[in-house]
Amino acid sequence: MRVLAVLAVFGGGVAHGSLASLLRVGDVVPDIPLVVVVMLALRRGPEFGCLAGLVAGLLQDVTTGGLLGVQALTKALVGFAIGASGARLSVTSPLVQVPGLVLLTVAEGLARFGLLQMFRFPAPFGELMAYQVLPQALYNGFLGAVVVVALATADYLRPGRAS
Amino acid sequence: MKTRGLVLLAGTVLLCLVLLTVQARSQSSAPADALAALTAPIQTAVARTGHFAVGAWSTYREWRNVRAENVRLRDEIQRLRTATLQVDETVDENRRLRLLLSLQERLPLATLASEIIAREWGGWVRSLTIGRGRHDGVTRLMAVITPAGLVGRVVEVRHATAIVQLLTDPASTVGAHVVGTRTAGILEGQARGTMRFKFMARDGAGLKVGDLVVASGVGGLIPRGLPIGRIQSIDDRGSALFHFAALSPVVDLSRLEDVLVVMNQGGAPDLTAFFRPGDK
Repeated sequence: MRVLAVLAVFGGGVAHGSLASLLRVGDVVPDIPLVVVVMLALRRGPEFGCLAGLVAGLLQDVTTGGLLGVQALTKALVGFAIGASGARLSVTSPLVQVPGLVLLTVAEGLARFGLLQMFRFPAPFGELMAYQVLPQALYNGFLGAVVVVALATADYLRPGRAS
Repeated sequence: MKTRGLVLLAGTVLLCLVLLTVQARSQSSAPADALAALTAPIQTAVARTGHFAVGAWSTYREWRNVRAENVRLRDEIQRLRTATLQVDETVDENRRLRLLLSLQERLPLATLASEIIAREWGGWVRSLTIGRGRHDGVTRLMAVITPAGLVGRVVEVRHATAIVQLLTDPASTVGAHVVGTRTAGILEGQARGTMRFKFMARDGAGLKVGDLVVASGVGGLIPRGLPIGRIQSIDDRGSALFHFAALSPVVDLSRLEDVLVVMNQGGAPDLTAFFRPGDK
């Protein structure tokens, strides 16, 4: 299971640059690593979420050619935060997870924008939010719903599951 | 556990900030290069796998489309072939019926058109069953013709059908003569499905291959001048009383579809001139 989680983080980070374009709707692509990090953090806690966010973000930074460390930092923060919240709040319901994923995407986008401002990132905030962050947040919510259903089905079908 | 988490978070933030600072200050891309060296091959493999999967899916979809198109086109070809056959058949039938009608109109005889509904093609009996019978006024020994010439005569009549004995039936004999020389003789059917013209030696001196043999009208049963066949070969039997000539029939008896029954021939003239060599 741990190997699977590592593979998911690594695969999600690498696959984003290669395969996300296949899931493109209009000009919007989902943030696959973020969805993976959030799902893993909810299941495995803040430490794993933080590490998963760091690795996935680093890989994403490398594959997308941005500043190394930006997405690593934001995703590590998101992973830690959602992992910590998961222990305190009731976030096991898909009705919470999916809108949560939308909000987290927006939060991650804000954090990334703030971080990039320190390095004189030129894009205006409003345009970035309207055309990039919010559509991606909605897409991530939809993708999260699919992942939640898939995980629930996998749990249900797992051999040895006591009835 | 809680402390370990916070330490981990702090370490992560520190690491990221260091990375960002190093890149911003020295414009160095060494950390990114190191990570890229690790991820590039995997990324390539993932991309290739993705492209392969997409390509395979596209190929499969195209194959399905081509297959469906193939099935549709085959069906259409089959339908068009059937339609073509139907058109050909209709055209052929139309041609035959026009010839039959044309003959019916120009002959000075009362005739009745009939469809052939069955045929007996064995060596013992060679006959046709036509779709006209007693109900239509057909009687025994009536001549049956086509636009090409004589086919045979009615030998049996039922309520709605009649049996026509073909000229090639082994039991068939018809009085005939050769156009031109007027050599008289008897036309006999043969078991192998051919006809021969039996004539007296002293009358047949001038016969040639290709001469037309027509019904003689002797006995008043079959109208005079109905074409029967052309001489194919002459069997000269020396001093024998009768000689024979093999005939090729002017009517293709194996491909008949429609015929005319001669209902009344009272006082008809020699009919040879009413038949055209090309009509079949």
